[in-house]
Amino acid sequence: MDIDWGWIGDHTGTLGDHAVIHIRLALLPVLFGLLISLPLGVLCRRWQWMFPPVLTVANILYAIPSLALYMVFVQYTGLTEATVMIPLTLYSLSVLVPNVVDGLGSVSEPVRQAATAMGFGPLRRLLQVELPIAVPIVIAGVRVAAVSSISLVAVGQLIGQGGLGYDILRGYQLTFQTQMVAASVLIVLLALVTDAVLVVVQRLLTPWARARGAS
Amino acid sequence: MITFEGVTKRYPDGTVALDDVSLECPTGRITVFVGTSGGGKTTALRTINRMVEPTGGRVLIDGGDVRERRPAELRRGIGYVIQHAGLFPHRTIEDNIATVPYLLRWNKKKARATAHELMERVGLDPSMARRYPFQLSGGQQQRVGVARALAADPPIMLMDEPFSAVDPVVRGELQDEFLRLQDELHKTIVFVTHDIDEAIKLGDRVAVFQTGGKLVQVDAPEDLLARPADDFVAGFIGHDRGIRRLSFVPASGAPLTERDVLAADAPVERAREAGDGWVLVVDGDRRPLGWAATGVLPSSGTVGDAALAPIGHTFTVESDSVRAALDAAILSPSGRAVGVDGDGRLVGVADQHDLTAAIATSGAGVAAEPADTPPAEPVKGGAGD
Repeated sequence: MDIDWGWIGDHTGTLGDHAVIHIRLALLPVLFGLLISLPLGVLCRRWQWMFPPVLTVANILYAIPSLALYMVFVQYTGLTEATVMIPLTLYSLSVLVPNVVDGLGSVSEPVRQAATAMGFGPLRRLLQVELPIAVPIVIAGVRVAAVSSISLVAVGQLIGQGGLGYDILRGYQLTFQTQMVAASVLIVLLALVTDAVLVVVQRLLTPWARARGAS
Repeated sequence: MITFEGVTKRYPDGTVALDDVSLECPTGRITVFVGTSGGGKTTALRTINRMVEPTGGRVLIDGGDVRERRPAELRRGIGYVIQHAGLFPHRTIEDNIATVPYLLRWNKKKARATAHELMERVGLDPSMARRYPFQLSGGQQQRVGVARALAADPPIMLMDEPFSAVDPVVRGELQDEFLRLQDELHKTIVFVTHDIDEAIKLGDRVAVFQTGGKLVQVDAPEDLLARPADDFVAGFIGHDRGIRRLSFVPASGAPLTERDVLAADAPVERAREAGDGWVLVVDGDRRPLGWAATGVLPSSGTVGDAALAPIGHTFTVESDSVRAALDAAILSPSGRAVGVDGDGRLVGVADQHDLTAAIATSGAGVAAEPADTPPAEPVKGGAGD
């Protein structure tokens, strides 16, 4: 395999720009997914019969090929970033919803009772006790969702919004290995760095969980 | 004062957790709810802070119906301690203790200062303030749980099996410290346990619950032991309740003698004259040294030269119970218990018969037994035969 290092040197700017777009296209959906999963997870804990149907729907969404979803949304949102991000948001739910539910479930009964007995109302208990205790498990879900999202974004290039996916497709069309390999390696690096950042974030947010191996 | 007026809790499926319970928990005293599991004692406890709403009857605090107060506000004025401490894993020890002060919007500095003060009070090193619960032992966590319940200085404390999850040694320590703390604080405490020994040790009053949520008897511990209301209570207390009652009979009533007591520098001949098998040897300060067997004394010299058998343990005449004295007598090689004063100096010696006489005079024997109770063990146990 011949790598044209000179080309890479000349194109660090473009590759960097694509990487920034790539990470935005990948991580904004995870953020949106989290914003949807938190209330959904809370509702699923509150009314437990809701959880199986919600999880089934999330899993079915995850099973639909991304290409098919792009084709559906392109009719409404055109060849925009939104068309890439909406399916990725939906995909993230299949990991995030169960992790929010599990995270809330990790709050032990004595802790819940103690909070109630000391005069926490339901909302305050959720915000100050249950959600903070759920953080390690929720972040574990965010790590999986973020890494898979980063790798999935490239497919968005089929509708012209793929971040580093552009360089993979372009390199393929021009049979220019250097561009393909450089973009692929960058995607892997983005995933690794994102994961590492999330680990650090979790450690900072939950110093109390370190000795429990709950990361 | 906490008052239960005909409190009933019936669940929709028909299960009755509390059946027409009426009782008073006096202000500043410890009332223990004890009983078998499913007896409704925890349910009864939780009606006080409205974690359980009765389906009949009322619960009053100082005459006011608890239902007239909003649950969250009511609960902030009632300390609550549970079995596994239920500490918040994500909060430091000081912030766990300051939970209710924060809810009451005290400023952070005052809340934390209170937390540190309470840590010392419950026997925790304040250097632990910034640690997290997982870094503490079970016993330490339970102390934090007690400190957390005390933080806003509530007049009432509810304690649901707070010491059951720790090992027996730590449990004993926690119980002793709890009593010491209550001596200073005089809270109105309702304490749930399934352990009758704990109930008798801690309770000013003990309420016995039976399966089906029936309150069978409420009495002071010594009265409960003396006069169990029915077979259930008698069975629950156990077959050694006679012996246990002796914990409430002061040893100071026992006749003590100085017969067969010799100083260590007395000649062995005097011990031989005693002739009762054993002689208690004391030093110049009248502190007991041990028992000398008169059969194996050296041919000459002083009794202090003889091989002395250990005393086992002594009892303190002023503060110990007849139970402690009887135990000392049973463990003693001579069959006699050695009574000492607060400084460990000999007051006198009593054998098992002397102690039996003291039990009879105190009325702790058969006299108080109602005629309709089944023939039981208190007499036998009480006499220590």
